Amino acid sequence: MARIIVVTSGKGGVGKTTSSAAIGLGLALKGHKVVLIDFDIGLRNLDLIMGCERRVVYDFVNVINGEATLNQALIKDKRVSSLSILPASQTRDKDALNKENVGKVLEELGKTYDYIICDSPAGIEAGAMMALYYADEAIVTTNPEVSSVRDSDRILGMLASRSRRAEQGLEPIKEHLLLTRYSPKRVEEGEMLSVEDVKDILSIPLLGVIPESQAVLKASNAGEPVILDTESDAGKAYQDVVDRLLGETVEFRFLTAEKKGIFSRMFGG
Amino acid sequence: MADASIEFKGTSFTLSVIHLKTSVLADIRADLVKKVAQAPDFFYLVPVVVNIEKIALDLDYQAIKTLLTEFNFTFVGFTGSISKEQRNLVRELGFSFVNTAKAKVVEKTATAAPATVEQPPEEQVENTVTPVASQLYTDKIHRGQIRSGQQVYAKEQNLVIIGSVSAGAEVIADGNIHVYGALRGRAIAGAKGHHKAQIYCQSLEAELVSINGNYWLSESMEKDWGSPAYIQLTDSELTSSKLI
Repeated sequence: MARIIVVTSGKGGVGKTTSSAAIGLGLALKGHKVVLIDFDIGLRNLDLIMGCERRVVYDFVNVINGEATLNQALIKDKRVSSLSILPASQTRDKDALNKENVGKVLEELGKTYDYIICDSPAGIEAGAMMALYYADEAIVTTNPEVSSVRDSDRILGMLASRSRRAEQGLEPIKEHLLLTRYSPKRVEEGEMLSVEDVKDILSIPLLGVIPESQAVLKASNAGEPVILDTESDAGKAYQDVVDRLLGETVEFRFLTAEKKGIFSRMFGG
Repeated sequence: MADASIEFKGTSFTLSVIHLKTSVLADIRADLVKKVAQAPDFFYLVPVVVNIEKIALDLDYQAIKTLLTEFNFTFVGFTGSISKEQRNLVRELGFSFVNTAKAKVVEKTATAAPATVEQPPEEQVENTVTPVASQLYTDKIHRGQIRSGQQVYAKEQNLVIIGSVSAGAEVIADGNIHVYGALRGRAIAGAKGHHKAQIYCQSLEAELVSINGNYWLSESMEKDWGSPAYIQLTDSELTSSKLI
């Protein structure tokens, strides 16, 4: 049976889709069978970040409505054969989704895949609730910024009370904190919340810290998830996240501001 | 300093209040006859306060006292939301004016007539049943964080949170509230009217604390902000103190 992981946040624009793409691809590169599902009906963008937007024929809502089979809708990634994407509908309404039909799709996917990663939309309405309902694990994506932390706290409350595991009294969802767009320099200057500040408020285990990086924008525009950019700090940090998810103990990198030596300052770089 | 032989303390007593609806003595007498006849022993020497809110200034105050004493009541004084003028008149005539819990404390006139009895501090008249002491409540224990947007209500219980209360969360109890963690949200204790309820936490960072309707926003908590602290209500004023 597959492990269902929801990538959620509450706040919008913090890096859910970027992280879903990077982590999904990372897991697949390690040999696991992974499917990424875009739950943002009407505002889909997972297909853009994955670079498969020109190959979308059928989508999630088509499958729910019985207009297409899963096999017809799933898009195989060109880089890794064990990775597939189930895109969201752009023209339909998210009212098409309900607990029963989503549950059926997840059950079917669970037969073939090891990991099902649900890219949640922002907010706490039906779309986000649907994405987190069946989750076994949750990656709560947070920026080190007050409103993002408050919203993540809200979504943690929902994970603990409105998920299937909560309703049925099962073992609670395993929560992970993913801190994105972290700038150690600004933290040292006292402008930005530190890792410790965020951990203190949210009190969930830290999965990873992704530094603010220009590589992320480049990756989105190119349709190549940033984990493939092995030179960038963000890419390396996502690699660490994947290793930690798989149970390895990895030291946290990119937490302190780089001190440029005199030579690098003279000669640039 | 020698030990004092007497001590003045403020205490709450439940006193019967007779609300006057008319100043006509004959009518008052008639009603008193009927009332006392119902249970003469019950009313014997009972301390009473007379509420004169509905009556004009020109009431025969002495006659009221005489009448009540005739019926074996122990006359304490007058009360009610009346004008300052009327209050002063009552005083000048040599009668006590008794404050209710809701009324403001009457200013002590420095030139009070010698015959007037010195107003005891904060003697309150209540015609309600005193609420059940919160020591009789059991504890409702909640393990885990209270997240933003969540609300916990301990009905007729004290509330113990083993964890922190996030900003945007609310913890409410009819009794006391104990937070074994940081209190960053709202804590509302004594929700049903207990002025003795208290709030304890390991780090005071609350948005709002309230005991029996008296509340503080963060700006009032500067003294003990960020420290282990407890909040209590003393004479309708909230106070905070460090725990350690």
